[in-house]
Amino acid sequence: MVEVSAVTEVLLFFALLLGVAIPFGSYMGRVYTNRPMLGDRFLVPVERWLYRLLGVNPRDAMGYREYSIAFLLSSAMIAVWTFLILTFQASLFPGPVPFTAMTWETNIHTTVSFLTATDFTHFAPEVNMTQWGNLLGLEVPMFLAPAAALSVTAAFVRGFIRHDGRLGNFYVDMIRTTTRIIIPLSILGAIVLLLLSVPASYPALPWAGPGVHTPGFPGPVAAMQSIVYVGSNGGGWTSANAASALANPSIWTQYMGMGLFLLLPFAFPFAFATMVRRPGEAWPYLGAVLITFAVGLILFISFEGVASQAAAGYRFGLVPDSTFQFASVYSNTGANNLQIAYVSPIPQMTLLFGMFTQATPGSDGVGFGTLLVFALLAVFMGGLMVGRTPEYLGKHINVTTMRWTALVLLYHPAMVLIPTAIAYLGGFVPPAVAFGSFPGCASATCMNSHAFTTVLYEFASESANNGSSMSTFNDATPFFNLMGAAVILVGRFLPMLAMLRIGSEFSKSQPIPPGPGTLQTSSLTFMLYLTVLLIIVSALLFLPVIALGPLAQLGG
Amino acid sequence: MANGESPEGPVRRVPHTSVSRILAHSIRLFHPKREIQHPVMFTVYVMFWFLLVVTLFPQAFPDIDRSYSASYYLAITLILFLTLWFSHLSEAIAEAQGKAQADALREVRSGIRARQVLADGKRIWVGAELLRVGDTLEVVPGEVIPLDGDVILGAAQIDESMMTGESALVTREMGGDKTSVLGGTHVVQGTVQIRVTAIRGQSFLDRLIRLVEAANREKTPNELALDTILAAFTIALLIVVLTFLLLIASFSYVAIDVGTVIALYVCLIPTTIGALLPAIGISGINRVAKANVIAKSGKAVEAAGDLDVLILDKTGTITVGNRLAVQFIAAPDISEKELLTSALFASSLDVTPEGRSIVRLAARRGAPNLSLAEGSYRVIPFTAERRTSGITMTDGREIYKGAVKAIEAYAGALPPSLAEAADSAAREGMTPLAVAENKRIMGLVILKDVIKPGITDRLRELRMMGIRTVMCTGDNRLTALAIGRESGVDEVEAEAKPETKLAIIEREKAQGRMVAMSGDGSNDAPALAKADVGLAMNSGTGAAKEAGNMVDLDNDPTKLIEIISIGKQLLITRGALTTFSVTNDVAKYFAIIPALFVTANGGFLAGVAALNIMGLSDPHLAVLAAVLFNALIIPILIPLALYGVRFRPRSAIDLLRQNVLFYGLGGLVSAFAGIWLCYAALNWLGRQGWWQTVITGINHSLPLMIQFGGHL
Repeated sequence: MVEVSAVTEVLLFFALLLGVAIPFGSYMGRVYTNRPMLGDRFLVPVERWLYRLLGVNPRDAMGYREYSIAFLLSSAMIAVWTFLILTFQASLFPGPVPFTAMTWETNIHTTVSFLTATDFTHFAPEVNMTQWGNLLGLEVPMFLAPAAALSVTAAFVRGFIRHDGRLGNFYVDMIRTTTRIIIPLSILGAIVLLLLSVPASYPALPWAGPGVHTPGFPGPVAAMQSIVYVGSNGGGWTSANAASALANPSIWTQYMGMGLFLLLPFAFPFAFATMVRRPGEAWPYLGAVLITFAVGLILFISFEGVASQAAAGYRFGLVPDSTFQFASVYSNTGANNLQIAYVSPIPQMTLLFGMFTQATPGSDGVGFGTLLVFALLAVFMGGLMVGRTPEYLGKHINVTTMRWTALVLLYHPAMVLIPTAIAYLGGFVPPAVAFGSFPGCASATCMNSHAFTTVLYEFASESANNGSSMSTFNDATPFFNLMGAAVILVGRFLPMLAMLRIGSEFSKSQPIPPGPGTLQTSSLTFMLYLTVLLIIVSALLFLPVIALGPLAQLGG
Repeated sequence: MANGESPEGPVRRVPHTSVSRILAHSIRLFHPKREIQHPVMFTVYVMFWFLLVVTLFPQAFPDIDRSYSASYYLAITLILFLTLWFSHLSEAIAEAQGKAQADALREVRSGIRARQVLADGKRIWVGAELLRVGDTLEVVPGEVIPLDGDVILGAAQIDESMMTGESALVTREMGGDKTSVLGGTHVVQGTVQIRVTAIRGQSFLDRLIRLVEAANREKTPNELALDTILAAFTIALLIVVLTFLLLIASFSYVAIDVGTVIALYVCLIPTTIGALLPAIGISGINRVAKANVIAKSGKAVEAAGDLDVLILDKTGTITVGNRLAVQFIAAPDISEKELLTSALFASSLDVTPEGRSIVRLAARRGAPNLSLAEGSYRVIPFTAERRTSGITMTDGREIYKGAVKAIEAYAGALPPSLAEAADSAAREGMTPLAVAENKRIMGLVILKDVIKPGITDRLRELRMMGIRTVMCTGDNRLTALAIGRESGVDEVEAEAKPETKLAIIEREKAQGRMVAMSGDGSNDAPALAKADVGLAMNSGTGAAKEAGNMVDLDNDPTKLIEIISIGKQLLITRGALTTFSVTNDVAKYFAIIPALFVTANGGFLAGVAALNIMGLSDPHLAVLAAVLFNALIIPILIPLALYGVRFRPRSAIDLLRQNVLFYGLGGLVSAFAGIWLCYAALNWLGRQGWWQTVITGINHSLPLMIQFGGHL
């Protein structure tokens, strides 16, 4: 049952989180608007040196096209780097570690997965990764992928503060995000995790057996786990990730981890408000996130509370573990501390819902970007309802903006549902898993709705760049690898390019001064309208498959 | 055409929007070419035909066979037909409303002949359609002016009521700003010669007719943006439903029920707003036309909803247009009676409203009756340079009245007490006129601007809508400020010159604001063209009407306020019905999704039954109830689409709160209630013996008929 003290703890945690996220958000806003700040004395020379090295003029503001090309090119370079390391890690880093090479499609899936901060793993790190493969192949994108996501979102937001059609300089954004936000946070996180006795050692000694580490020499777990959290990555030193005593030894490391992966998503609304210099604008977003988050979490905990919890693997109690798992999925981090496959159906449904919205709060940067796109829809419909051509923060919403907004909101169901249908119709789900006889269905071709939920969860997780999975069957098959990689790529680049396009559309338009006839977006009414619209739109698109999956499980 | 042949008299018939015409039009809209213009409804159209084929030829679709029920499929097909038809009906009614107005105007003009004045001065009768721009016509009392034109000779009293609804006659005369006449209006008194400015089919009136007919109406930017969102939702839901159908199809325990899946699709896509969107747009223009304003595009109407700044002329808009005498102040050494007499003399032949009001006030104050013998006086008319007017009499008396400064130039400085009185009057927004006789100051006449009744309330409404008003006047700053204070405008632009309005518009637009103004003179034309909404007065010059994007046939500058409301109402109606459409969908899920799964074997999907919160026990009836409600809500909302949602000026956030609550929550609640009611009605019907006979009949005869057809 639900323990009162644990609930108090969780509430206290969120109060603390907000206490840190609000000032940190405004710090981030200053990073993206180049205002003077702490650390300039040390970091400005470093950044200047990097600009010179890269031949970048930091004053060159890029338009939509240049920014997108820079983003895509950098991503392509990281992808090549990671893919090469994964493919050749055994010969590059020979060592005593027992190592099983992955197939080329699993390498592609893994590359794409880490390139996009998805970190959906079709492999087990303790079997398929070398120590240096982990550190160089996977950790490099773990830093750069969230930095790119934060940069692109900041560029999107700049559309509201620039009036020249430009969005800023991608390389400057990338470098400043890395030096000012990602690296300091991950160092801090690693030190705290280390102090909370998450181990770190070098070298990592051979595994004593599958999933069993050599005591005393487990590898640089604390450092890796820190960036796993900070970058909404997921993944981890072992496939058990936060469910293992190695990466997550105590309730304190669990709260710390949760703080690290929720900090940037919860801070971004305040970064946004700082960037547009309207402090009030952060609150409707925070409100929408908190309401959706709270409703989902309460559903999760109350339905788990009455179900058998034995199989899911609660280590520190129902409330804290549920909160960690729920927050990890809702922030698109995807670090599991539970066996989601053994969580009961309604909680599974709430997790799916978080991946459907992708915005409550969603991953670093992109989660807020998606929420902002939802807000554009709300502003559009709400703006019509106050009898004016809709505008947001003094910028008109036009047909082009709406076209890209619609794309961002609606590509997601296509990327989840079409691959799911193909998986079933093409027979790619192992028949032994997909079908079976159930009470009320005598034939052997009845659908296993639990397996259906697994497949749905897989593609939802990939399209949302989440990374958590139910893994009830072997999905390291060519179909799930390649289809998954494609879904992940679309799920990352389509919305981000669309956000840049929307941002440039705003940047092109001249600002409209606010008046009393302008829809006030920093209001309770707008916040509730946004929340309800967000929930209804996501639910409308996904309810039929929710019925086929989690809801059908209830009857079985 | 022989000289002197009489023209056919104008025939005016009362236009009727016949029900049969609307019905016929609504059926014509089933043409695929018309359907494809509205993407959301087009998908319903495709589903309708598909389902019709499935219903009639189920054997062609082996998988469907198992769940096929002729009466059920036929019912869904019929309801889809109704959904489409209701949508067409709303469009047809809106178009008919516009057409009625167009027809009324067109009938006035059918068979009009014109008396053309040839270069040699001869007059001949010709058909109006043969005339060209620049031809000269003569129109005598009792005739209809055949085409738009400018008066080049003479003056006439014209009845424009068929165009404007305004029964008062208007005067049109050569020279000046009042030369323009409209084709289709009626000369009551005075013969005029007119130069044709627009030929048949291109005249002002024709533009109006084409516009209200709405046949080639362009979509506005907001409409396009909304269309984009709705189309995207439709595509996404198509994917949702198709994948769902395919997934269900791959599991044998659930019979594929194409009919139900199509019903689900039609319920989920935004049919309510999709169906009513064309009607909303057309009726917006109709409402403007009903206010006797011709908007040159739908875009201009929407722009009116966005206005931030409204530039208003003081005279004629905020004040009744004439200053009236309210007080006489005699100079210290002059008796009031002397002042009254002088003022009376100076004004007795002044026909301006100000002059007449001085005469009236003087009479009321007991001025002696005057008799001016013919030839004993000479009137000195008012000129802008001198800024005085007056009279000189043969007995040597010379009386002037006029602006204080001008009189001072003539008769020397005012005595201090008068100067003070003049200043304080000016501070209060009144206009002091000085009167001097033979270079001696007699005293002051105080004129006061009278604020139009009701204007203060309308200005307050504008402020509530967030629109800033700027009053433009040629008056001095003090007078202007006082009027501004009294009427409640936000800003006052005093001592304005013709180009001041243009300067204000440019200044405000540079800051990104949307500006509206009204005007009638040629010198207003550049500003009218530059403004986002330029409302030209119909009595104004051709240049002004050409420059503005709207023309007010009633010549009422305050009409702008009404147009703003119409523009806002248009957008609000769209937004409100979209929100309604979205929240409406929620209830439909709860009716249909359980129904899809109850058809499974046994209780396997009992979990889904938890969604059945309305407790609809018969799955087929539940689906029919949902899709029937989805269709019926369209005609229920047609009045709202045609007349617009109620709009009362208030702040944006209040409007949002009110509309979200009313239409958002209303959509949610009404759908649950509506579906439940539809279900109860269908359930009741199903218990009636005669109805059961009908259903059994259909279920037996349809397959037989189909078989029979197959044999043929």
